Amino acid sequence: MTNKLSRRDFLKLASLGAATSAVLTGCGPASRYVTREPYTKMPEYNYNGQSTYFATTCRECAAGCGLVVRTMQGRALKAEGNKHNPVNLGKTCARGQATLHGMYNPDRVQSPLKQARGNNPTDTDWDTAISIVAEALNNPADTAFLMGLAPDHLFDLVTDLCKAIGAPAPIRYGALGMFEARATLGEASRAVFARPDMLFFDIANADTVISFGANFLETWVSPVAYTRGYSQMRRGPGGKRGRLIQIEPRLSQTAAKADEWLPGAPGSEGLVAVALGKLYAEKKFGSAPTAFEAADINLAAEASGIPLEKLEHLADLLAEAEHPLVIPGGATLAQENGLETAKAILTLNALLDNPGKPGGVYFTPANPLSNKYQRAATANEMAEFIGKMNSGAIKTLFVHGVNPVFELPKSLGFEAALAKVGQVISFATFPDETAMLADYILPDHHGLESWGYQRVVTGTGQSMVSGAQPSVAPFYNTRATADVLLAAATKAGGKAAAALPFKDEVEFIQDKVSVLVGAEGGFYNAADLPAFWALFQQFGGWWKNDSSLGVPPQTANAISKELKVSAAKPEGEGEFHLFVYPSPILAEAGANKPWLQETPDPTTTVMWNSWIEINPVTAEELGVEDDDVVTVESAFGVVEVTVYKYPAIRPDVVAIPFGQGHTAYGRYAENRGVNPANLFGTTTNGAGDLAFAGMKVKIQKTGKKRPLSRLESKLGVYGIGMSEEH
Amino acid sequence: MAISANALPHAHADEHDHEAYLRKEHLMLDPKPRGEMNALVMESMTTTSWKFWVIAAVMAAIVAIGLFGAWGYMIANGLYLTGKNRPGYWSLFLVHTVFWIGISHAGTFVSALLRVFKAEFRRPFTRAAELMTTFALAQAGIQIFAHMGRVWLAYWMFPIPNQRLLWTNFHSPLMWDFLAINTYLLSSTMYLFLPLIPDLAMARDRSTGWRKSLYRILAMGFRGTEAEWTHLRIALNIFAFAILPVMFSVHTIVSWDFAAAMRPGWSSTIFGPYFVVGALQSGVSAVAMVVITIRYTMKNMDYFIRKEHFDALGKLMLIISMSWAYFFFNDYMVQWYGGDKWTDALLHFHEAGPAGWIWFMMLITNIAIPWLVLWNKNWRRNPVMLFTVGLLANVGMWAERFIIVPVSLEINRMPFMWGQTFKPGIEVPMFIGTVAFFILLYMLASRLIPLVPVWEVQEGQMAHSIRKYGKEPVVSVADLE
Amino acid sequence: MANPKIPEFKADWKEGEEGRWGMAIDMDLCTGCQACVAACSMENNVPFVGEEMSGYGRQMAWLRVERLWEGEYPEVKMTPFQPVMCQQCGSAPCEPVCPVFATVHSQVEQLNLQVYNRCVGTRYCANNCPYVVRVFNWADYDRPEPLPNQFNPDVTVRRRGVMEKCTFCIQRIHKAEDQAKSEGREVVDGEVAPACAQACPADAIVFGRMDDPESRVSKLSKDGRAVHLLEELGTNPRVAYLKGGSNGNLG
Repeated sequence: MTNKLSRRDFLKLASLGAATSAVLTGCGPASRYVTREPYTKMPEYNYNGQSTYFATTCRECAAGCGLVVRTMQGRALKAEGNKHNPVNLGKTCARGQATLHGMYNPDRVQSPLKQARGNNPTDTDWDTAISIVAEALNNPADTAFLMGLAPDHLFDLVTDLCKAIGAPAPIRYGALGMFEARATLGEASRAVFARPDMLFFDIANADTVISFGANFLETWVSPVAYTRGYSQMRRGPGGKRGRLIQIEPRLSQTAAKADEWLPGAPGSEGLVAVALGKLYAEKKFGSAPTAFEAADINLAAEASGIPLEKLEHLADLLAEAEHPLVIPGGATLAQENGLETAKAILTLNALLDNPGKPGGVYFTPANPLSNKYQRAATANEMAEFIGKMNSGAIKTLFVHGVNPVFELPKSLGFEAALAKVGQVISFATFPDETAMLADYILPDHHGLESWGYQRVVTGTGQSMVSGAQPSVAPFYNTRATADVLLAAATKAGGKAAAALPFKDEVEFIQDKVSVLVGAEGGFYNAADLPAFWALFQQFGGWWKNDSSLGVPPQTANAISKELKVSAAKPEGEGEFHLFVYPSPILAEAGANKPWLQETPDPTTTVMWNSWIEINPVTAEELGVEDDDVVTVESAFGVVEVTVYKYPAIRPDVVAIPFGQGHTAYGRYAENRGVNPANLFGTTTNGAGDLAFAGMKVKIQKTGKKRPLSRLESKLGVYGIGMSEEH
Repeated sequence: MAISANALPHAHADEHDHEAYLRKEHLMLDPKPRGEMNALVMESMTTTSWKFWVIAAVMAAIVAIGLFGAWGYMIANGLYLTGKNRPGYWSLFLVHTVFWIGISHAGTFVSALLRVFKAEFRRPFTRAAELMTTFALAQAGIQIFAHMGRVWLAYWMFPIPNQRLLWTNFHSPLMWDFLAINTYLLSSTMYLFLPLIPDLAMARDRSTGWRKSLYRILAMGFRGTEAEWTHLRIALNIFAFAILPVMFSVHTIVSWDFAAAMRPGWSSTIFGPYFVVGALQSGVSAVAMVVITIRYTMKNMDYFIRKEHFDALGKLMLIISMSWAYFFFNDYMVQWYGGDKWTDALLHFHEAGPAGWIWFMMLITNIAIPWLVLWNKNWRRNPVMLFTVGLLANVGMWAERFIIVPVSLEINRMPFMWGQTFKPGIEVPMFIGTVAFFILLYMLASRLIPLVPVWEVQEGQMAHSIRKYGKEPVVSVADLE
Repeated sequence: MANPKIPEFKADWKEGEEGRWGMAIDMDLCTGCQACVAACSMENNVPFVGEEMSGYGRQMAWLRVERLWEGEYPEVKMTPFQPVMCQQCGSAPCEPVCPVFATVHSQVEQLNLQVYNRCVGTRYCANNCPYVVRVFNWADYDRPEPLPNQFNPDVTVRRRGVMEKCTFCIQRIHKAEDQAKSEGREVVDGEVAPACAQACPADAIVFGRMDDPESRVSKLSKDGRAVHLLEELGTNPRVAYLKGGSNGNLG
């Protein structure tokens, strides 16, 4: 009762001082809603009733949006956008808003655990944990690190550590990297623009944008930044509203905002791109350059299902436009012919003569901390890594910031390979699938309790690094992985200790960012490290004031190279193309946050579950209705999922969002929906990225029903439940 | 509106038989000595078989578990146990509130209106009907309180002066409704009590023990002096006239809860009379059901309640059914004629939506069945048929309120937020509980107070006589007032 | 104190008055990303209700992003995303129907207030709201520890049995007004934004003073593209929706 006693009740008790008053007031219904916290729990920098704000970096994806976390009495209350951060300029997406549901998630790993691959977890202490890590560091040759796409400071630390002790360089993976097919884009950039850099698409200043399935308003690369770009494009200079055309097999949230959505067949985008190039060049210059000369417009129209007139209409629009831009999306490149498609689309940009010009394609700016862009591993690289695990060459595997058991396609066999690894040490904050199969979980702080930095790869033209600092004291007995590794390195001694002579994580980060002290053109200037560090924390990072986007080389070269594009050959058998897209709300790691689960999907308004989108005509042919459960079978797996009759999807395509289907990861994520990654195959494109969008699947009715929770009224939106007008 | 003095054209009736027939048919023409009649009524009150107690125990159990148990559970856990949602913020509780208020109407209607118009057939069952008003209002009250999100703060709806100077909002139709129902409850209870006084005095004089003490208090010293009778008659006359507008106002105001709202399907100008007629439709049917039940379950009631009463009630039901049909058509017509697209969608949804079968059922049980059955004299005099028609009319009126409340709430001006699904929840056991409570109250009342107003019957019988013109028996009625 | 003023039948609203606070939502810019929904829920201690309840029309979010469909494949089009929250009507249908004055018009902020601790849960206001934006606490929804650490102390945590709705983040308005007052000035345009407008990545939601003709929201509300939801009902909503785009649809 003492803990439940409210302050007001306490005062009443003190003033009346009688047992009767306890009966009258002490246990009233209100006291259940107010709990007293001891003053000792309050950080000394807090005033009563006043909020304290901390600038940090959002860790829900790797884009590096800046957050300002409102705290009061040592509790984080709200994550808001950091208006100074050039990536998001004070804005956030839904996932960023819900990040607090991660920190205060009831299912976090609360202390270091020793467990026999998920069985019999027992608490352990950090000293034991550090000696185990140190031991592994002493055998560098058979130690491997698998890291997520964020945070970068830890990746840098591990890279330094591995280099020093002679361990293989850490490998990075993240499902969003796979869905964006970043490696393919990089390879295409190497081929067309001679540099394998991440590209920046200046949507904001374009006036006609044709997007080949780029979901830049949802999850693609840096959604908040690109949404801002979209918003500016619509309010173009002088009030001229930019146009957006989306070519994609299903109407995505991005396509919903397009002026025109063209349901092109999966795998035909490359053909469409070269056809557009040819039509455009013929209209504009009279003849097509080498790259587009051989394009077969009729074939493109036939393969894509986009009528010839439409293609000509698009070419007209491009020809009329002052700043035309075409963007390759992830699923477009995740085809067996993805690299060729990417090249075709970039070459089309070259033909449109937009590279390096406003509203065109740029190289992302060089990062102030490192020039090297560390992208996520491709499926081929992961397959190689898994092969190494299978061969028994890896004795100790460290996993941080990624959940490969869930995020990798099952067909790659990561889970089975994990069994061949001697010891798995997970640094997971949440009990995810991979952590459940580890020998040790040495939980890292949640992102909002952590120090760090994130290199901003794209999303802004300003060269920048986004800084992270704890907004609250760690809630549980967790420890920063960087600190664990530093302590382990000290303990291991030798090269490891020599390479990382840092007391703690903060010293390491300060060492890294010290190169920026006195740097030119920054948002602020500081003469020495303490001053710089204070400003770095205050503003949540460092960035240059001016844009330093890289200008791709002369485009004449690119358009004179021959392009070979053919329609993609689908993998597997079945009558439907499978189209998997990352859920705009959950993405790869949002499923454990209850409010994200309850946030309706933008296009279907479904909450809390997975669904398969089927064209109503197709559904009728299959004899399935809304809420019927069907099995979806590829050559690699089967899932059972509920039907959503989606009016805007090609009849030969079915779509499933990625993000649900966890078997672990806390109460809100577990046993909810399906993971479509279980259906993925092993075919890769020329750049080694998985051709996940080139799958064919079979669909079978099960006769079961499982109603979906949707916000929309089926009656009002689809007229379901009302018989025909008579 | 005295009993018809026409010779009744019975095929087998010779003069003697005709007189016998008249006496058998009409209670008013079949007088019994006062002492005997009083004894009949006292006996019907005190003769209780074991079956009565079994049924009463079952009813009490249903009330305890289905009504108060479920309600308590709901108060402790929240309204998620009901079938309500967005946009169906109101549903079965309001349906049942309107349902019970509707039933409560007929009590006053049968008693006061028929009294005002001197309809003689009313005499033996005014009491039973008046009890219905009070008992049904109690059920309506339970339903409306159950409807509230925080019923423990229900007293905030009372205009009680308080320190915080918080006042109730008299602009709210709910407030009007609250006041109207309270007024109705108070006045109808008084109207029930006034004509009860002479019978309570009669019971006081013919009982012993606790009954005598109880009746002594309730009879308030009524001795039957001329002055007392005069006062009673005056008071009753005033009440009978005064309560009629209250009765019409109550259901009109109940209809304003809907009609004053800004919703397609609700904002209908004809809702007032439509609701009043609907209330009579369910209420008079319920009176018929109660009268039939009393006639066949209580001792000596076959003397007081005769086929003529079934006949009269049947005719009343038929006329009311016709009026209801007219107002239904009227309501539909004006709403449809308005041409508002949301109202159009709603009207279409009524018949073509998932509750379409309820809409059609309403038309069948409220119109088709009464019209086809009650037209026939023999059928409406048949207690089984009349009871069935009454029951179906109540089902139909329940359906009408169901269509008006939850079904109409499904359609609003934001199609994205139209209704999803409807699942019945804890309202169902609670409704069954109120039905049991209603029956239980009647059962207890039948043991405690004379269900037949003895003095009114006697008064009527004194006024009626059969004279003979030649061989023809002719009924004559003296005006008592 | 002796003569408490009984509030007017509806707000003291007169024809032509703009109100004090208002919002303009550009539907051409809104991408339906739901950041506003999440931001609002985080700011205002809105509970989550679980799969079954949310599917049964009991989701508690104070705003929703609507969209409908037009036509059939392949000529199918999604109507523009439309965030719908309490429109803070100048002449609100929800206000007169509450029997206990839990739904009242604030004369100072000119907003529709929902007084949680006065609400007895008749739900009449919700029925009478043509925008269907009110949500009811059907239960005390479970927020397991340590999630309640995140509660915003400026916003009441509602218990079961009461109605709630968008407040235009009145706690933020008050904070900004207090700040401005302490500095002896008026609140300047852009100084205060509700959680939804603050989060909106597309900058589609603009919030500000309607009584300042120079404010962004005033100008947008008078734009030729501005419409009000169910304008024909005469509720005088304070939220303007900007329809269409400058060069309309293609094709």
